[in-house]
Amino acid sequence: MDSITLTADLEALARISAFITAAAERAGLDERATWQVQLAVDEAATNVIQHAYDPEAPGDITLSWRSEGNQFIVTLRDFGRQFDPGSIPPPDLSSPLEERQAGGLGIYLITRLMDEVRFDFNPQGGNVLTMIKYIAPASGDDTLTFPVTGRVDAATAPQLSRAVHEEIARGARRVVLDLSGVSFLSSSGLRALLLIRKELMTLGGELRLAALQPQVREVFDLTGFTQVFAIHPGVAEARAAFGQGRA
Amino acid sequence: MEITHRRMNRVDLLEVAGRVDAATAPHLKQQIDNLFNEGRYRIVLDLANLEYISSPGLRVLIEARKRAREWKLTDLEGGDIRIANLPPRIKEVFDLTGFTSLFELYNDTVEAVGSF
Repeated sequence: MDSITLTADLEALARISAFITAAAERAGLDERATWQVQLAVDEAATNVIQHAYDPEAPGDITLSWRSEGNQFIVTLRDFGRQFDPGSIPPPDLSSPLEERQAGGLGIYLITRLMDEVRFDFNPQGGNVLTMIKYIAPASGDDTLTFPVTGRVDAATAPQLSRAVHEEIARGARRVVLDLSGVSFLSSSGLRALLLIRKELMTLGGELRLAALQPQVREVFDLTGFTQVFAIHPGVAEARAAFGQGRA
Repeated sequence: MEITHRRMNRVDLLEVAGRVDAATAPHLKQQIDNLFNEGRYRIVLDLANLEYISSPGLRVLIEARKRAREWKLTDLEGGDIRIANLPPRIKEVFDLTGFTSLFELYNDTVEAVGSF
């Protein structure tokens, strides 16, 4: 484990950024992941510098990192005011300019850029923010068949999103969702699939859906999403179609 | 962070290079406020050499665009902050934070300046 302790003032930001960037490169993160970690750590440090201490008498901020298996683990510790992440409302990303709040993006960005984020506080140990980035394998097969089972509705869609997101973070880019075990798909489920598709497309990947049961297929037909998704009768056909367009 | 200012007839062009973080964002805000104080509300930000931006910088952009747009010359003509040459990494931050739809983005400064 490697760490750096600095006075929590704005001058510390450039050094924190340089420290974590070098660390991420050493741990084998690719350029994009390194940059994401850099931004997440900078946001977290900015938060500490601006809110944890009295600006007239700033205390220390300690940044540490280690890698364990495929995880790059960063912790940021301060001994200032207790930070309650629940007190920060999530930003409304869809509101128009006039109504858009100018702040509140820092914590949101951290959670989007890192794969796991945890806030802990105790009076002796201070605030400890733990942020984990999964290290994607440098090369290898980026094709993944992911079986989905049961009902995909408002209650279960977030689990599906999270599970697939973790696979993408590990390097999956050409993803087949095997829907043969799905008995019911609601609009929340459709929305989750759209977001997965968008995430993959942003990364240059593809999402393909396979083996829809008739009642699930009907949801796609009724909503017009048959045109949006690449839908295949079976997993084998879906896997064979990668790189052939229409994803 | 380094800001280069070019004054044109109707528009001011600010080229913002380097890192915009909590330490440097106040300077960017100051530079934009100076233009506002001179009554200059039509601004193009050339971000081609922007290496990095975090939320304090995003905050400056959003507040500045709100203020610029409050200034109206006529019903058709008014102030705005428009962005040219958004680098891919910064575009990713814009996408994550919903900023892509909050700003008018242009492929180059000529297009952005000409849009006013």
